[in-house]
Amino acid sequence: MNLISGIDVSAGALNAQRTRLDIVAQNIANAQTTRAADGQPYQRRVVSFESELLKKQGVPGASLQSVKVAQIMPDKTPGQRVYDPQHPDAGADGMVQLPNVNLAYEMVDLITATRAYEANLSVVKNGRQMAMKALEIGK
Amino acid sequence: MSIISSIGGLQSSLLNRLPGAGRLDAPASPMLPRLDGPASPTGTTPASFSSVFEQMVSAVDAKQTEAQDITRQVLMGQNDQLHQSVIAMQEAGVAFQLMVEVRNKLVDSYQELMRMPV
Repeated sequence: MNLISGIDVSAGALNAQRTRLDIVAQNIANAQTTRAADGQPYQRRVVSFESELLKKQGVPGASLQSVKVAQIMPDKTPGQRVYDPQHPDAGADGMVQLPNVNLAYEMVDLITATRAYEANLSVVKNGRQMAMKALEIGK
Repeated sequence: MSIISSIGGLQSSLLNRLPGAGRLDAPASPMLPRLDGPASPTGTTPASFSSVFEQMVSAVDAKQTEAQDITRQVLMGQNDQLHQSVIAMQEAGVAFQLMVEVRNKLVDSYQELMRMPV
């Protein structure tokens, strides 16, 4: 019994946007990390989404597409190189390779993810309102 | 018999969402061609209203339990899907409201019958 139709689609979208928010948090947190797990400077991660077909039982022909995270890929662009011979990760020439995280990009991503999350939340809210209004038929 | 004729279509789509519930007045196999002349009442007997209502109550109960489970998981930290928990609670609330609405109609119709002058 699914009384609020389309809510699974929105739930998938909410999940995807939350993952995106997590990745933005990771990128901002590692904005100064010069040594990641592989010993190299941290590379910012980028989330890409793909649509996901939801199987609806009992309703032939009506299939809805939700969204899910397709992959989380590292951004390959090289980061800034600065001269800082005191840095523990400085090379022989005193240059340090910094991560390629740009805080302005991350802030834009953060706001986009938040607004997309809000948009999907209002879909959920309106679906619930429609169901409640339908229950008021005949009152 | 449908007094408000256009409601028939709505009714079937609503009942299709209940697990195991069909239209009360639907024939057992409407797609089969009739070969043996006049109608012979074959097939299963239509489900009684009380059994349909019972199924509905158990479906609502299952929804409430599911919402409770997800909320507990979120609170215990086994799951970080906060929105799933809230959505499950809302769904359970709407299902409960629908059940209450059906019960109200049932009681109303009973009272209407009791008011009938004999």
